[in-house]
Amino acid sequence: MSVIEKGVRYAVMVQSLLQMNTIFISIIIEALPFIVLGVFISAVIQMFVTEEMIAKVMPKNRFLSIAFGTGMGALFPACECGIVPITERLVRKNVPLSAAIAFMLTGPIINPVVIFSTFVAFGDSWKMALLRCGLAIFTAVLTAIAISYFFSENQLREFVEAKLHHHGHDHEAHDKPNFLQKITGTIDHAIDEFFSVGKFLVFGGLISAAMQTFFRTSTLLSLGQTKMAAILIMMLLAFIMSICSEADAFIASSFNGMFGTSAILAFLVFGAMVDIKNLLMMMHSFKRKFVFSMIGLIIVFVFTGAFLI
Amino acid sequence: MLRFIVLFGFAYFFMKLHATGDISKYINMKYAYLSFSMIFAMGFLCLYQLVKWVRAGNEVHDHHHAAYHGHSHETDENTWYKKMFTYGMILIPVVTGIFLPVATLNSTVVKAKGFHFSMIDNDKDQYANHQILRPNSSLYYDKDQYTEMESSDLKKYSKLQSIVLDDDHYFHGLETIYNYPGNFIGKKVAIKGFVYRTDDIKANQLFVLRFGIIHCIADAGVYGMLVDFPDNMANVKENTWIEVEGKLDTTYYTPFKENIPYLKVTSYHKSSEPKDPYVYRQYN
Repeated sequence: MSVIEKGVRYAVMVQSLLQMNTIFISIIIEALPFIVLGVFISAVIQMFVTEEMIAKVMPKNRFLSIAFGTGMGALFPACECGIVPITERLVRKNVPLSAAIAFMLTGPIINPVVIFSTFVAFGDSWKMALLRCGLAIFTAVLTAIAISYFFSENQLREFVEAKLHHHGHDHEAHDKPNFLQKITGTIDHAIDEFFSVGKFLVFGGLISAAMQTFFRTSTLLSLGQTKMAAILIMMLLAFIMSICSEADAFIASSFNGMFGTSAILAFLVFGAMVDIKNLLMMMHSFKRKFVFSMIGLIIVFVFTGAFLI
Repeated sequence: MLRFIVLFGFAYFFMKLHATGDISKYINMKYAYLSFSMIFAMGFLCLYQLVKWVRAGNEVHDHHHAAYHGHSHETDENTWYKKMFTYGMILIPVVTGIFLPVATLNSTVVKAKGFHFSMIDNDKDQYANHQILRPNSSLYYDKDQYTEMESSDLKKYSKLQSIVLDDDHYFHGLETIYNYPGNFIGKKVAIKGFVYRTDDIKANQLFVLRFGIIHCIADAGVYGMLVDFPDNMANVKENTWIEVEGKLDTTYYTPFKENIPYLKVTSYHKSSEPKDPYVYRQYN
């Protein structure tokens, strides 16, 4: 290899790294506002919502509570990574696991911002936006119902639980905090959470950027010849690309010519429920076995749902 | 203290992005208000952390106080290496974002990325071609709307004797020309972009391209035209920015297996990279 050739290779390598950094930064910039919103909502729930309040409004019936969780998800303007800390907080506040999961899976898709961006990205048409919501509800409800049968406990990681118990006693020993203390407590919580969730965002963003830089999407796309393969490929792509659900519709629509509605839909729904960065966050909050079973269920339901459309 | 630095870093980073306008290289400006609001959110958290830190220095650590809050993740960060990991990790985007230059996608990337020119050679993937050179926005509209937009664009550009493909007209103008090359044969077209060369073009030919963004940098495509010069262009380096003016004609381009419009250059000169190297599609 000549010196010049070596030089060229080196330059290409540096260029690729800068490229990867640019993709990485754009993922971070896109997601960060939603993370901050998410940790604040989570902190507000921690400080202002008590377990009694939740026990009062939460229906006792399995199906009603799942329906309730789905409905709550529709009210939250969160994306798939911002919603994980909120969900963890809800489970800690004794929200039934299945309802919290229904909430976590619908939250990133059924909200005004995401619906609107999907509407715009697909040429001001409601078809894709509605199909996306439909498949999201279908997947979330079925996954949550399955979870309610398979998993009885809250499935939080042990050390998280242990800590909770410990502090539960602490709380009893002291007076209730006043309003100002609650406010500062909220901000402290939000900052704590920001740092704990932020590292997963960064890590996931790095992996995703590296894969997009050094891995040719064309190789992947050329595999998606049949409808079934196309759906699976698009789900994998959504997982790898880790685009915020607030923004992924624009990316998805650029695949419109290559793949059919089913595959695009699978991309839009699966990517908003599971991707690299939120997988890391979920594994931090919940038991591994639970997270993987849940993802398995999501894959099955998204795939079947998309295939039948 | 560490937290203060990280939060300050983020606030500064977002401020820098907006002050220099670099933000447009990362995301579509339609969503800029979100990251703009982050300057204030991060700034506030940073000040809050500073006040807290100063106060903690003044008083002995209050355990009663700590019981109300701050328990959720402290155990994650109680050892020095875990602290290092958390803060080190979160500092990565701040440091690389501030200190590394923005890699504006250039032709090295066109080759390395998913939609690159080598893909044209293996013609299995017939759709991939449309993402290069030729903008095809029909995917973003339903059929009637697209036809409507197409015909209004055609009317608009047919009236003109010379078409300047500047930032405002790049996507619409180029798309119209690619859709109806016959209507524009002989017309004057001006285009500015960076130089790209493939193996299958002649020594006096170059591609003049620009990266276009539909939503964010992850979906950037590369659009432009084949250009035919009166001189041998072999010594012009790739990535050089160039402005060309010429008459439109069509040619059969073997790799695409179709006729594509190209420019027969009447005048050209080297140019500097524009402030914003990307073009964005205008929705109207």
